[in-house]
Amino acid sequence: MKRTWQVACILFLAGAVVMLISSFEYPYKDRLGPGPGFFPFWLSLIVVGLSIALLFQITRGQKAPYGSESPYPNRQGAGRILIVLVALVGSLAMLDYLGFRISLLLFLLFLPIALGIRQWWVVSLFALAGSFGIFHVFYHWLKVPLPMGFFGL
Amino acid sequence: MEAFQYWIQGFSVATLPINLLYAFIGCILGTLIGVLPGLGPAAGTAILIPITFNLDPIGAIIMLAAIYYGAMYGGTITSVLVNVPGEAASVITCLDGYQMAKQGRAGPALGIAAIGSFIGGTFATFALMVVSLPLASFALRFGPPEVFALLVVGLSLVTGLSGRSVLAALLMTLFGLMLAMVGMDPVRGAPRFTLGLPPLYDGVGFIPVVMGLFGVGEILLSMEAPVLNVIKTKLTDLLPKRKEWKVASGAIGRGTFIGFFLGLIPGIGAIIPTFLAYVVEKKVSKHPEKFGTGIIEGVASPETANNSYANGAMVPLLSLGIPGSPTLAVLMGAFIIHGLTPGPFLFKERPDVVWGLIASMYLGNVMLLILNLPLVGFWAKLLELRHQYLYPGILLFCIIGAYSLNQSVFDVGLMVLFGVLGYIFRKVDWPLAPTILALILGPMMERALRTSLEMSAGDITILVTRPISAILLIIAAVVLLSPAVRLLAQKAGKD
Repeated sequence: MKRTWQVACILFLAGAVVMLISSFEYPYKDRLGPGPGFFPFWLSLIVVGLSIALLFQITRGQKAPYGSESPYPNRQGAGRILIVLVALVGSLAMLDYLGFRISLLLFLLFLPIALGIRQWWVVSLFALAGSFGIFHVFYHWLKVPLPMGFFGL
Repeated sequence: MEAFQYWIQGFSVATLPINLLYAFIGCILGTLIGVLPGLGPAAGTAILIPITFNLDPIGAIIMLAAIYYGAMYGGTITSVLVNVPGEAASVITCLDGYQMAKQGRAGPALGIAAIGSFIGGTFATFALMVVSLPLASFALRFGPPEVFALLVVGLSLVTGLSGRSVLAALLMTLFGLMLAMVGMDPVRGAPRFTLGLPPLYDGVGFIPVVMGLFGVGEILLSMEAPVLNVIKTKLTDLLPKRKEWKVASGAIGRGTFIGFFLGLIPGIGAIIPTFLAYVVEKKVSKHPEKFGTGIIEGVASPETANNSYANGAMVPLLSLGIPGSPTLAVLMGAFIIHGLTPGPFLFKERPDVVWGLIASMYLGNVMLLILNLPLVGFWAKLLELRHQYLYPGILLFCIIGAYSLNQSVFDVGLMVLFGVLGYIFRKVDWPLAPTILALILGPMMERALRTSLEMSAGDITILVTRPISAILLIIAAVVLLSPAVRLLAQKAGKD
């Protein structure tokens, strides 16, 4: 866990440094008072300071602020997480092109099967209801806009 | 007299058939969110915002608030039957609730939780009616320095009370503020930190971030061990035994007061009141050794405190515009989406919304009691849903929720990105609540600070020379510095 906390601190530090440098692109002050660069400048400066302080506390401190448990999932868990992420990124990539119904149909067909369900007809029904059915409810009844894709689906 | 007229106005709004329907739907959906593992109240409320797009603002807010307090009821069911809290505030209920279920007494555990929640929620709503108007009238005197100081106090409380390390929690708060810097400058209207991406001109979407951190992140975490072992128990007898009523009623009374008063403190979160109520109950009990073995007061006190807190926490949101938890931040986001700004001016400008909402909370609590006692068996059945269907189903609604606000696939991507971040932060145990609150309060905070400095021609001492602002900043400093002071005192003691 110690290493993970250290990495998190370094990432925060890096992000804050980037913001600090970028804040110089905006005026710190204008004729009315503090400009758009004022708040981000001080904010990122404080984050830089705190990241260094936490990094120091983790590395040198006697009392660890983190737990002893491992932050990593087991192999099976990592596999399932990867499956969910692949499905999410896949549907994200398809959404604008194939529209809500087709993208989500594929998403809802893929996920249960990839997670171990073998009842094809139940999965198909679930996917149809979750894509075409939910689309109907949200788009037509609740008037919530959803992507149609190139084929108008 | 004025307050009484507002109450009447509130009830006339809340009892309109359409608003009763919205409250009813909200209660059902909220309980469902509370019951379903992997979907906390913050993400659940955010997901359901799109269904309110075409409702009038009062109906939308009534429904979303009902989802919020309904989720507090629902979380108990999983705590008792699966030993997994449906939402974080129900963690402590697992201790005695699950033990009672193992002894075949899940019915009375769920029954007393529903009754306690009803009493706590109803009392807190009454107190909300009494307290919120004077507080809002007082807050109307606040200028930009006081608003800035108040926001600093709100964020300090969230920061100081969450997580293992105050420094880590502070970084998470500042991370939320950094995210809030993206988009249009709230004072001059100039774009900042947009990386040239047009969707970022409106800023980092609050709803995709909430759904990512609390929805997708939670599901990714659940995927590590997704199978739930539901206790098979008969839920025929829902009421406790006669002798249990006596101890339970004391626990409900104490839980009500603890929940409401802690709800008034912005940022305290729902977990602390439930833990405190449990600890107090254990202290006053004649047989503290029995806590954790399945006793009724171990369920009654935290569950009552939970719902009393949920309603009490509406006081700072409605009167001061400060959300005390991520779910209330979502509710505040929903107010803004519907063109309303929570805070003292809302009482002046839209009393129909404020008092209609408060009155609907009374009715919602009655609905939840009626719904929960006979429907406990039905909710328990839902827990037997296979995770291979449950989690894809939740993700489907997350995608709809993230997309529909701006009709933007970019927002769906943002949700996935924050889902991964939410998972990582959960694993390293860095608190997420401060980020969400800072993201929503960030633009207000920056505006208040910059306007204060404009008022004083750049003199920062304006924040400490005005009495209210100075007192508030001292409170914030005490909250943030107390862990460091304690640590130094311990060190000095050792030396």
